[in-house]
Amino acid sequence: MTLAAERWPAYVEPGARDSRAVVRPDSIAGALVVWRIELTKLSGMIQIRAMVLLSIIGPFLVLGFLNLQSATPGDTPFGQWVHAIGLAIPMTILGFGAQWILPAITGVVAGDIYSSEDHYGTWKTILTRSRTRGELFAGKFLAAVTWAVGIVLLLTVTDLIAGLVAGREPVVGLGGQLVPAGHATWLVAASYLSQLAPMLGFTALAALLSVATRNSIAGIGGTVVIAVLFQIVTLANMPAWAQQVLLSTPFMAWHGFWGAPPYYGPFLWGLVTCAAWFAVCTLAAWLIFRRRTIGAA
Amino acid sequence: MTTGTGTRPAAVMRRLRLPVLAAIAAVAALSATGCSSSSNLTPDRLQASIGSTFANLYVLQQSYMGNPPVRAAALGSRASCQKGGTLDVTQEGSGQWLCEITYLPSGPQYPVIAKYNVDVQTDGCYAADGDGPASVNGSPTVTGPGYRQLNNPLALIDGCFDTT
Repeated sequence: MTLAAERWPAYVEPGARDSRAVVRPDSIAGALVVWRIELTKLSGMIQIRAMVLLSIIGPFLVLGFLNLQSATPGDTPFGQWVHAIGLAIPMTILGFGAQWILPAITGVVAGDIYSSEDHYGTWKTILTRSRTRGELFAGKFLAAVTWAVGIVLLLTVTDLIAGLVAGREPVVGLGGQLVPAGHATWLVAASYLSQLAPMLGFTALAALLSVATRNSIAGIGGTVVIAVLFQIVTLANMPAWAQQVLLSTPFMAWHGFWGAPPYYGPFLWGLVTCAAWFAVCTLAAWLIFRRRTIGAA
Repeated sequence: MTTGTGTRPAAVMRRLRLPVLAAIAAVAALSATGCSSSSNLTPDRLQASIGSTFANLYVLQQSYMGNPPVRAAALGSRASCQKGGTLDVTQEGSGQWLCEITYLPSGPQYPVIAKYNVDVQTDGCYAADGDGPASVNGSPTVTGPGYRQLNNPLALIDGCFDTT
């Protein structure tokens, strides 16, 4: 009897704790499971497939369109050379569209990836599965980052190929210098890859909006509106530091690669700016997500 | 449905109010400092950039036209830029500038002045529209060997300089 009386509390206590919550640490393997499932979901979405298709054929559509008419997009750097220099075409596309097309592309995924669960009311369901909140957050975030990086890499390849197909002439750089086609190919690739930093910044911003608003319209639309707002703000005369802390400025940092001599100040500043935006937005999104009450009556 | 309450427009607006107000305040603060603080879009940087860019493009133009090769350094090009039309305009920042580029295509005794209307953007990139002499930067095309029409590199100059 005494033995049982002594052992009784030892049996009860872990049982009581277990009934409140399963305390299980977040694991990388768990996050990767979520990541894989999210990628599978993304690859089935019609808008994702459409954007991938457009990224592949888009540069060649531009190429065909330029061949049909003789006007030049003169208000963008490299625009006046699109009919004479093949590699001017990917640079004109980048100068024209990067600041607002790229945030929209990443916003469509990152601005929706958390709030879609709110929309369908499925948080309660997936949180009862064997994955923790941390794993769900990390896996979904990783999926959004994968999309952002993947689409930039895809655009780099397709735009570069379109430019090389159009012609391998030496390129007139932004210092008036003639850049040989071989070196210009590298500069085009570097210019496109430099978009990765602000792209990741906007991904984190869109994820924050998606978590905070629990609404995909606000998550996607808010990202695009903020990108356009930044673009308008950069038109105003501001001190150099104010220009550099905006998340949209690094989209234009590639201009320096084409200078004579090339300069990398805006690019390096951009890396710092983007890292700060990325860190703050990701942290804020996680803090909101972790403390959120889900499924309370 | 509990999760549904968070997606009602009114709830979304309420949640968005703070970030939107913060963003507006930040933009207002930036614009306020922008009016008083100095920018890095200075005449010195613009003149250095457009002067050397012009020289490089002049070399390209001459090669397009089939003329004997020139060296950019031998041109001794030198730019002088002013912002706006009146004297009281602050001589810095983005907007419309007027640049006169003096260069020496045929020796130090015979300087030539090329004029440009320059639209300077906040990121240090500019588009310079040729404003005479017509034979240098007036025509969008130049005639190469065999009467080939080529893009005149001096008609519209795209350039950038470092603002950091």
